Amino acid sequence: MHVVVCVKQIPDPAEPGKLEGDLTLDRSGKLILDESDSYGVEMALQLVDKAGGGEVTLVSMAPNNENSGLRTALAMGAAKAILISDPLLSGAGALDTAKVLAAAIKSAEPDLVLTATESSDGYTGTVPEQIAALLGLPSITFAKEVHIDGQSVNVRRQTEDGYDEVTCSLPAVVSVTAGVVEPRYPSFKGIMAAKSKPVEEQTVVGLGLDPARVGVAGAGQEIVAVEDAPVREAGEIIVDDGEAFTNIVSFLDGLKLI
Amino acid sequence: MPATSPPTGRWGDPVEAVEVTAIGLAPNVSPSGATTSPQGDDMFEWSEEQLMIRDAVRQFVQTEIAPKREELEHGDLPPYEILRKLFATFGMDVMARDRFKHQIEREKRVAAGEEAAPAAPVRRGGGDPNSIAMTMLPIIEICRHSPGMVTAMGVSMGLTSAAIMSKGTIAQKERWALDLLTLDKVGAWAITEPGSGSDAFGSMRSSARRDGDEYLLNGSKTFITNGPHADTIVFICKLDEGNPMEDRKIVSFVLDRGMPGLEQSKPLRKMGMHSSPTGELFLTDVRVGRDRLIGETEDVASGGRAGAKDTFSMERSGVAAMSLGIIERCLELSVQYAKDRVQFGKPIGEFQLIQDKLARMEVARLNVQNLVFRFIEMSAAGAPLSLAEASAMKLYAARAATEVAMEAVQLHGGNGYMAEYQVEQLARDAKVLQIYAGTDEIQITHIAKDLLRR
Ligand SMILES: Cc1cc2nc3c(=O)[nH]c(=O)nc-3n(C[C@H](O)[C@H](O)[C@H](O)COP(=O)(O)OP(=O)(O)OC[C@H]3O[C@@H](n4cnc5c(N)ncnc54)[C@H](O)[C@@H]3O)c2cc1C
Ligand SMILES: Cc1cc2nc3c(=O)[nH]c(=O)nc-3n(C[C@H](O)[C@H](O)[C@H](O)COP(=O)(O)OP(=O)(O)OC[C@H]3O[C@@H](n4cnc5c(N)ncnc54)[C@H](O)[C@@H]3O)c2cc1C
Repeated sequence: MHVVVCVKQIPDPAEPGKLEGDLTLDRSGKLILDESDSYGVEMALQLVDKAGGGEVTLVSMAPNNENSGLRTALAMGAAKAILISDPLLSGAGALDTAKVLAAAIKSAEPDLVLTATESSDGYTGTVPEQIAALLGLPSITFAKEVHIDGQSVNVRRQTEDGYDEVTCSLPAVVSVTAGVVEPRYPSFKGIMAAKSKPVEEQTVVGLGLDPARVGVAGAGQEIVAVEDAPVREAGEIIVDDGEAFTNIVSFLDGLKLI
Repeated sequence: MPATSPPTGRWGDPVEAVEVTAIGLAPNVSPSGATTSPQGDDMFEWSEEQLMIRDAVRQFVQTEIAPKREELEHGDLPPYEILRKLFATFGMDVMARDRFKHQIEREKRVAAGEEAAPAAPVRRGGGDPNSIAMTMLPIIEICRHSPGMVTAMGVSMGLTSAAIMSKGTIAQKERWALDLLTLDKVGAWAITEPGSGSDAFGSMRSSARRDGDEYLLNGSKTFITNGPHADTIVFICKLDEGNPMEDRKIVSFVLDRGMPGLEQSKPLRKMGMHSSPTGELFLTDVRVGRDRLIGETEDVASGGRAGAKDTFSMERSGVAAMSLGIIERCLELSVQYAKDRVQFGKPIGEFQLIQDKLARMEVARLNVQNLVFRFIEMSAAGAPLSLAEASAMKLYAARAATEVAMEAVQLHGGNGYMAEYQVEQLARDAKVLQIYAGTDEIQITHIAKDLLRR
């Protein structure tokens, strides 16, 4: 059982974020493992355990050969990683990211690909499906439980009022909902071992991709402005003179809620 | 956790090199894994891996310990289950088991004559700063919230197991020490008595009397960490051969919970360290075989006094790490409070008198951190700290922690005096660092004696 987990390394959300001149997020500092992806890593490790063999490979695209977040996932128990880092990728959008990740995943030939449903910083929530489309693989989203059964994967997909049960053939791309498993702490031994686990560094050309079609050159999008989210308007304050319920009723009525 | 001045006859001796071990590590156990990679650079900051360990433990402390503060501090929740979870989570139990297996196998080969005994006592360290940092970092991190928990842990898997690992027979190590090292069992180490503290050996009354092939143990011990809950107790006493008190040999026995004649008290009420249960032990004609006499021999070097003294020094580096955790946390809370609290129309951090407090706290943090780094480096280099150096480190660190914590209370004003604010607890906890593991005064005595005999 060979599982690839896509893990995004992001600026620490605890630190105040900063924008670059081209309005993209400053990612020059230390990057950490996106918490959203820690669930995928945990689920992959559990699946490999249950399968009684195999390993977990991480795939990540990040600037400056940054691998701090990867080390965290390697310390949890992943066996190795592919890191794609290339100045050509600056300004990449979701689709470029998907192209790059798909090429790296292909080279790893996994039985299953896990991602988060959306990242914590970009959160377009589109990369997993794009990867699946580019690789011609089935895509299942919002997984809360994943079972491998021979050549197929059975997934319970979280829905608003319960779950759907979906089965498809392997390999497949499955995005995992946050919070469905408890990510393990890395053991001290795991932390010490992480340093010597292989991280294969890849580039756009190395993956056989056309530099004209990824990064700012191929993004097909441009960030023209960044603005603060509009402040919420102050609510209406009604002082209860004993009849306030009538205001509430008419308010709800206005929203067609009653 | 007392300290003694060296018995008078030893005044002129050169300073002994002692194997200094952090609270929490047994002495003479080489770190796990044969791969010891000496860190090329001098240590002036934590390495990348060490920071990963720190962050992982910090997260554990945040989720598992911080939310239970109320029960641990004011509700008599024993700390052991949480500590076991810590061990299991980070594989510390597995590592302890591996290390133990390694050492016992070697000792067995030596005993069978298949391998030469090491010429000198096995040195700790052996070039891997990470393995020492792995002990120090959990101490520092847990102390940011619960120094009591570290006290309970250190006495059990450090002091108690060390007493057995350093002087016990192979059979005794297998019978008792492994379970202590993994924290499967809770240990207590009992030397202090109502009438004997700093002068631990001189005024000791607890006794062992031969009775056929067995011994009868009597005496009472007090201030014993883990005393109320201990499964395994190392009881230190004098062998009563009818000779004068001051000539009697010091011997140690291992006792199990529930033995006839052994009574373990309820936890004593105390100023701080509420998450570390402290109690009394009463022994009335407790009958034990020779298999419980540590080393299974009455003939121990320097009348048994040196053995226990190694143990005193070994706690002292642990106290420096504990101090660092307390200082870091108090400084962090104080800086935040200085920014947030507004009086006379501005944040109190803008008053020079408050800035002075913060600056002093930072100086203390840097100094204690450097002591900890130095200890890690020296241990890694296999260079033992002298008893006087270990005393100096303990003295400075304990005082710094108490001062910083009290200043943190002051900086927080009335809030600082309220239990809701954490500095109140840390200030109470810090104080005992100046009392146990040898009082400040005893450390000073050790340092001065060393200086004056040069
Ligand atoms: C308004 C806006 C501003 C943007 N600003 C910037 C910017 O400042 N700087 C910049 O570099 N990009 C920027 N982007 C691009 C954005 O970060 C990319 O879309 C991103 O590379 C992937 O998209 P996502 O984070 O939304 O992925 P999602 O689709 O939300 O991610 C889902 C999952 O896919 C996987 N995944 C996604 N990205 C990676 C990755 N790189 N490596 C491994 N796995 C991954 C993870 O498992 C992730 O949880 C911006 C996009 C938008 C829409
Ligand atoms: C929370 C806690 C946990 C403990 N855990 C343990 C444990 O697990 N096992 C154990 O055996 N013990 C334990 N102890 C006991 C501890 O080690 C002793 O309290 C300590 O050694 C001091 O002894 P004492 O209390 O008898 O004080 P005393 O020795 O009576 O000291 C009283 C005062 O006199 C000073 N003094 C004594 N002699 C001299 C001198 N020669 N010169 C100058 N000043 C001197 C001391 O410094 C002190 O200020 C613990 C104590 C506490 C508070």
